[in-house]
Amino acid sequence: MMSMATSQSLQSPFSITSTISSSQFRRTNPLLGHFSFKAAVCPSGLFAKENSSRTARRHRAGFKRRSSTALQCTASHGPTGSTGALTPELKATLDKFITSNKVVLFMKGTKDFPQCGFSNTVVQVLKSLNVPFETFNILENETLRQGLKQYSSWPTFPQLYIDGEFFGGCDITIEAYKSGELQELLERAICS
Amino acid sequence: MAVTKEIMETTLTNKLQPIYLNVLDTSGGCGTSFAVEIVSSQFDGKRSLDRHRMVNSALAEELKRIHALSLKMTRTPQQWNEQQAQESRGATN
Repeated sequence: MMSMATSQSLQSPFSITSTISSSQFRRTNPLLGHFSFKAAVCPSGLFAKENSSRTARRHRAGFKRRSSTALQCTASHGPTGSTGALTPELKATLDKFITSNKVVLFMKGTKDFPQCGFSNTVVQVLKSLNVPFETFNILENETLRQGLKQYSSWPTFPQLYIDGEFFGGCDITIEAYKSGELQELLERAICS
Repeated sequence: MAVTKEIMETTLTNKLQPIYLNVLDTSGGCGTSFAVEIVSSQFDGKRSLDRHRMVNSALAEELKRIHALSLKMTRTPQQWNEQQAQESRGATN
């Protein structure tokens, strides 16, 4: 239905292994090119894998060197566990991420290797509609996993955001796909 | 205490007063994964997302102890009656 390029080559802004320059990042990621690099990469410093603080520090320092808009995200890793997971900094970062990308899926596993049947179902639905979408693997970060449950007021994953709004989980996505409502909403979001 | 189908049914009945409820343990009896079909007048005027939120809220305690919850159907009594009528028409044609 939509013939836009998929984001197969898209580096997740949350990836701690991405080392491309900001201009490369914009070129290879059509969805992200139109907003500030700061917003695209800001989460990486926050969402580095826990217990990888050396990697996270190197990653954050790397972004500061490459970009003139130095990494502004000042969020720390935050406490592990479910209490107090949604800090104001995390909320602000999530606000930016979901408004900077038209379609965002917080899931278990990755787009290419989903690790849960429900997450896989939503990935396959979105892929079949040829819609570019960002994903984040909540299994990589327990703080984010718990914080997102509070942020979305939704207890399970996957969690699908369209045009900055929480759309639902797997069941709602399937229901909307069957009724055609999902396709309509995605088309409006992508074209706006 | 493990979550059982009966616990899920009791909680949902108390909180949402459904006219139809079907809870299925999809974890093969382990009590870790459930599928729910529910019809309640409390869903009147609410979109799917809000209905799902209502069920999630009703099952807040149980959700802390189970791994997965699938809401297969959340209908109002009117939608349920229409669906039943459609199915019985389909059966006789």
